[in-house]
Amino acid sequence: MGKIVTIHSSRGGTGKSLISANTAAVLANKGKNVCLLDLDFRAPTMHVVFKLSPEYWLNNFLNRECEIENVLYDLTQRYNTKGKFFVGLADPSMLGIREMSMKDRKWEMKALQRLLSLRKLFEEKKIDYIIFDTSPGVQYASVNAVVSSDTVVVVTTMDAIDVQGTRSMIEDLYESFGKKAGILLNKVLLPYSVPSLSPLTEGDRESLSKQLKEMFGIPIFGMIPCYCDVLRTSRTVILAFQNPEHPFTKDIEKFVGVLEET
Amino acid sequence: METLASKVDLILASQKKTVPLRSTEEKKAKNEISLEALDVMTLLSLPDHLRKTAVMITKLGRATAADVARETGHARAVESNYLNQLVAMKHIQRERKGKKVYFYVTK
Repeated sequence: MGKIVTIHSSRGGTGKSLISANTAAVLANKGKNVCLLDLDFRAPTMHVVFKLSPEYWLNNFLNRECEIENVLYDLTQRYNTKGKFFVGLADPSMLGIREMSMKDRKWEMKALQRLLSLRKLFEEKKIDYIIFDTSPGVQYASVNAVVSSDTVVVVTTMDAIDVQGTRSMIEDLYESFGKKAGILLNKVLLPYSVPSLSPLTEGDRESLSKQLKEMFGIPIFGMIPCYCDVLRTSRTVILAFQNPEHPFTKDIEKFVGVLEET
Repeated sequence: METLASKVDLILASQKKTVPLRSTEEKKAKNEISLEALDVMTLLSLPDHLRKTAVMITKLGRATAADVARETGHARAVESNYLNQLVAMKHIQRERKGKKVYFYVTK
């Protein structure tokens, strides 16, 4: 049986989309059949990452104007992945964003039912993982994603505002819905500016992991140092495909290993 | 006097015609208004014990208490109680078909 994973955070700029795309890429490279869906309807990014302009968006799927098969792009050949690699995008046009922000409660309830129905992909398309890249915080799109998923990965930095927001989401959101959740600490600051000179040692990771587990009360799925070259890289570059040996890719691979065991 | 009596009869007859019509419309309108959308923010505001049941009926769309109990792991009688609480709160509706009672979010 497949698994739906939501990549979430308490606020923007934590690196959700970068992590979502690379997580999906690592899973597909490992031979898993993956579906990456951009549910960040207020600030879509995946159309830039994958340079696609589809006929149907996820907005159309949620509006019941088409089926999920019409939305999914098969990028298996483009990236030559071992497993199937599908993506579904959110409409980035101003009209699309405006329409999604004006939906009423009844529409949101039906949107939740549409997301819950995606489980059929496990059987019909032999999908192993559906990855939801969501909008930050407590908004309809992100809470719908959380409720529909099996596991929630909350991406946070060590910034005090992020930490506070993450703690409140764990208590008020994930626990309320009984979701398995874990922390992925991103942009961990290293003592030196060049990561190769000062990688996070296993000892550093263990000690930080212990502190974080005490702080948040949920498991730590992984930690990724702040790599300056990753920050400088164009958003269209998926390091897991284009630079499999990069330490960032290796960190994502470690995280994926933990995710598979969850 | 006869004219007055006939006018009263006419008024009464017209009332008899309109009253049932008005009540049907009112009932219909009341039904439409009374069903509270079971969106995620509403789910968050529900008591803990009802939330799992509410999510499951949203997922299944239309189901019996036994169907929901199979998914949640609760006893059927417990699930039936929870589903009836959600009906009383006007979040879902109930319909009897033969011996079975179905619960649903939207028809």
